[in-house]
Amino acid sequence: MKPLETAERALATVPAGVEAQATVIAERSLLLRFADSRPTQATAVDDLEVEVTALRDGHAGAAVTNATDAESLRRCTASAVAAAEAAVHLGAPGPFPGLPTPAPARGHDGYDEATAALEAARGGQALQAAFDAAGQVGAEAHGIWTAGEIETAIASTAGVAASDRVTDAFMKVVAVAPSGRSGYAAQTAVAGERLDPAEITARATGKAMATGGEATLGPGEHTVVLERHAVAELLAFLGSLALNGLAFAEDRSALSGRLGSRVAAARVNLADSPRYPGTLPRAFDAEGVPKAPLALIQDGVARAVVHDSRSAALCGTASTGHALAPGGAPDGPAPTNLVLIGGGAEDESALCRTIERGIYVTRLWYVNAVRPKETLVTGVTRDGTFLIEDGEVTRPLADLRLTDSVLGILGRVEELSADSALTGTSEFYGRRFATGVVAPALRAGAVRFTA
Amino acid sequence: MDALLADLMDSASGHADYADVRHVRSTTERVGTRNGAVDRIERSDEQGVGVRVRVRGAWGFAAVRGAERAGAEAALSRALEVARAQPRGPAFPLADNAPAVGTHDAGLDGTDPFAVSLEDKLDALLAADAAMRVDPLVAVTEAGFFAHREERTFASTDGALCRQRLGECGGGITATATDGAETQVRSHPASFRGQVSQAGYEHFAGLELAAHAPRAGAEAAALLSAPPCPDGRTTLVLDGEQLALQLHESVGHAVELDRVLGSETSYAGGSFVAPGDVGSLRYGSPLMNVTADATVSGGLGSFRWDDEGVSAQALPIVRDGVLRGFLSSRESAARVGMDRSGGCMRASGFARQPLVRMTNVNLESGDAGSLDDLIASTDSGIYMETNRSWSIDSHRLQFQFATELAREIRDGELGRLYRNPSYAGITPEFWGGLDAVCSRSEWRLWSVLNCGKGEPGQAIRASHGTAPARFRDVRVGVA
Repeated sequence: MKPLETAERALATVPAGVEAQATVIAERSLLLRFADSRPTQATAVDDLEVEVTALRDGHAGAAVTNATDAESLRRCTASAVAAAEAAVHLGAPGPFPGLPTPAPARGHDGYDEATAALEAARGGQALQAAFDAAGQVGAEAHGIWTAGEIETAIASTAGVAASDRVTDAFMKVVAVAPSGRSGYAAQTAVAGERLDPAEITARATGKAMATGGEATLGPGEHTVVLERHAVAELLAFLGSLALNGLAFAEDRSALSGRLGSRVAAARVNLADSPRYPGTLPRAFDAEGVPKAPLALIQDGVARAVVHDSRSAALCGTASTGHALAPGGAPDGPAPTNLVLIGGGAEDESALCRTIERGIYVTRLWYVNAVRPKETLVTGVTRDGTFLIEDGEVTRPLADLRLTDSVLGILGRVEELSADSALTGTSEFYGRRFATGVVAPALRAGAVRFTA
Repeated sequence: MDALLADLMDSASGHADYADVRHVRSTTERVGTRNGAVDRIERSDEQGVGVRVRVRGAWGFAAVRGAERAGAEAALSRALEVARAQPRGPAFPLADNAPAVGTHDAGLDGTDPFAVSLEDKLDALLAADAAMRVDPLVAVTEAGFFAHREERTFASTDGALCRQRLGECGGGITATATDGAETQVRSHPASFRGQVSQAGYEHFAGLELAAHAPRAGAEAAALLSAPPCPDGRTTLVLDGEQLALQLHESVGHAVELDRVLGSETSYAGGSFVAPGDVGSLRYGSPLMNVTADATVSGGLGSFRWDDEGVSAQALPIVRDGVLRGFLSSRESAARVGMDRSGGCMRASGFARQPLVRMTNVNLESGDAGSLDDLIASTDSGIYMETNRSWSIDSHRLQFQFATELAREIRDGELGRLYRNPSYAGITPEFWGGLDAVCSRSEWRLWSVLNCGKGEPGQAIRASHGTAPARFRDVRVGVA
C-alpha cells in the first residue's frame, strides 16, 4: 500500500469534528561503514511510521506507530485525540493556529530510481574503490557509503493530500596516514552514481599525507580559510539558533528585532532554496506547506527567519514551509536547504593568497552553542588543519578550538570562493532526513581560537 | 516470539559464522508545556526485528518493522546479502560468553507512568511552568515529562534466548530569561530534558518540579545582571550534574574499546587512550576511581544482558587514578586479548545494531563530606552548576564546558553569582587536579539523555553516579 493511502486510512479513523493530520514516512536505507580499510558495520533499514496529530482548541496531541493494520491505526488516532482533549481541560486555548490549507507544491528532481534500488553490491564496490585508492598511497580509509529512499505522505482534514519521494546518497572518507594525521573529504547527491569514491578518497589522502612537520598555534585571533564543510557546519548552527522563527518570536534569536539591519558582511547572501542546483530538494514541509525559496540574509542585511505554523502565528505572519513536525517541533522550525552564494575567488588557494599567516580549516567537530543569543559556538578543527604562510598552505597544523560568534565570523568575511557544493550530513539520528548546505569556501578575519 | 527468533537463528546458522536477532517493542510518552500552555503531547508505539550476521569477517544488519515471520526472514536474507556484498576483511574472533537465557525486569516497580492520566501529568507540569514566572525577565518557561517502556527479546546462534523488560520515567523544567541583549537559563534538576531513571512514576513526582520552579526562574533572571565569570586559573568545584557530563565526555567515551581500536574514526573519533595503557596510564589523581556498572539499580545503563547477550558487569575503569579497563564488546575484547566482553553492547531500538556504549560510568564517592563541607574547606575558587554547553576533541583530550550558573568561593563560603561560566582543560591534567570528592551521602545517578554515536546515528540514555568534587588549577572563563 502506498504511503498516501495509509495516511488517508489513518485520517479516516479520526472522529468527526476533530481537526487532524496523518503523516506517513517510509524509509528504506543502506549504510556501510569501514575503518582501517576494512568493512566494519552495515545497516539496512526497512521501516515506516504513521503519525496522527489531532488538534483541539489550539492544542496538538500526537501519536506514532509503525504498524499499519486497521486496529493499530485506530489506536494511534485515539491516543492523539485523547492527548489533545487532555489539554483542552485546562481551559486556555493552545498556541497552534490550525492546520494549513492545501497549496500546490512544485515538483523537483530529487528522486533517482537507481539509487532507490539500494544495491548492496554498489556499496561494496564503493568501499573497495576507497580501500584501493588509500592503499595506493599507503593510507588507511575510514568512512561510510550510504543511500536512502524516503517517501512522505500527508493527509489532513484541511484537505491536504500530498506525497513526496526523495533519494539521497553520501560518502565520506577519513584517510589516516602512517604518521597518524588524517584528512577528510565527502560528497552528497540525490543520485548515488554522482559519488566518486576514488576521487573522494584521493582528496582525503592528499590532506592526510601532506608533508612537513606539524606546527602549533596558540589561542588568539587568526585569519582563516574555511572549507565548505566548516562553513556548512557554522551555517547549520545559524539556522537553528538565529534563523529559527520560534527563537525569533521568543526574543532568543540574535535576529530578534534586527530584521532589516546589517548582521553580516555585505558579500554574504544566504537563502533557503529548496530547488537550488545540487541541493536535496523537498516538495513540502512537515505540515504540508509547499517549499519555496526564502532570502534570509541579502547583502549582509537580515531579511527573514523561517517559520512553521506555530511560530508564524506568534509573529503574526504566515508559515514559510519550514515545519519539522506537525503542530511545531519543540525546538521550532529550521531551514533545510541553506545556500550561501559564492564570491569571486577561484578556489581555496586563491582565498589563501592574501594571508600572511593564518589557518586553513577543513572541517569542525563537536560544535555546540555556548550562548545562543549571540550565536556563540565552540568546536574543534579536525581532519585537515594547515598553516597558511605568505599566501600558501605550507604544513600541517595541530588542531585548535574555535570559539566565536557565527554572525561575527560572517561579519568578517573577506571573500568567498566562486564554486559551491552540497555538504550533507551522515548522522541520521531517528528517521532518515537528509539535509545539506550548499556553501562555498570563505576567508574571514580575526576568528577567535581559545585553545 | 521466542519460537520465531529461535527458528530464525536455526536458519542463520547454515549461512553465517555468527548471527543474533533482537525483537524490540517499545512505548514512549513525552508531555511538554511551554509558557503556560501545552506544547506537545506525543505517544509512540513501535516494534520490529533487527538481525545481525557475520559472514567471512563482514557484518551485515537488517531491520524490519513488525513481528511477522515473513518480515523477519526477509531481514535475515537482506542482512546476509549486505554482509556478502562487502569486501573481504579479517575475521576477528569473538570473545566467549555463556549464552544468555532467562528473563529480567527493571524499572517496573511502583506506579506505571502510562497508567497515570495525562491530566494529572499536565497539572504537575503546568504548576511548575507557572511557578517559574517569578520575574518579568523570564521569557520562556518549559516543563517536560518522559516515560519509556521497552521489551527486548534476544537470540543468537550461540544458543542465547532471553527477554528483558525495562521502564524509565522522569522530567525537568527550564526557565529562560532575556533582557534583549542576552539570554540566561536555569534548569532543574538537570539541563537538556531533565532527570530520568529506571523507575516508575514516583521518580517523576519526587523531582518536585513546582517546588524548585521559583528558584529556577529567579536565578535565570538574576544571572542577566550578574558579572561575567572571571578568566584565569583557579580552584573549581563542580556539582554532580556537570561532573556527570565531564565524566561522560572525558572518561566514558575515551575508554570505549571500539574508539580505542580506531573503528569509530569516521564519526565519533578515536581516543587518546591506547590498548596497552591498562595498568600504566595515569588518568587522574589517586582520588579518581571510576566504575562502569551495568548492575546498579535505577541507572539508564542498567540491564541483565547487553545487546550481544553478555551478562551485565561492574567493570573497574580507573583505580587510584590509573587506567584499569575498557568498555568492550565480544569482538573488541578479543582483539586486545581480553578473556571476555565487558558487556557494553547497546542498540537504540530494533533498527540499529549494537555498538560499544556506556553503561553507568560512575565516579566513586570520596570522603569530603557534603557539598557544604567541600565549599567550607575551599579558600577561594569558583563553584559551577548545571551543564549548558559541551565540546571535546575527537580524541577526548581537549574539552571546553559551560554551565548555567557559577558562584564565587571565598574563605569557605559561596559568594556572588557569575554569568556565562565556562572552563577548559586537557583530560589527564584536569583529572590529575582532582583533590576532593564528596561522600556517599552526596552521590547520586545523573542521567545523560542524548548520547550520540554510530552511523546511522544512535541516541542512547545512560546514567553516571557522581558526587560534587573539587579540581585544582583549572582554566576558567574561556568563552
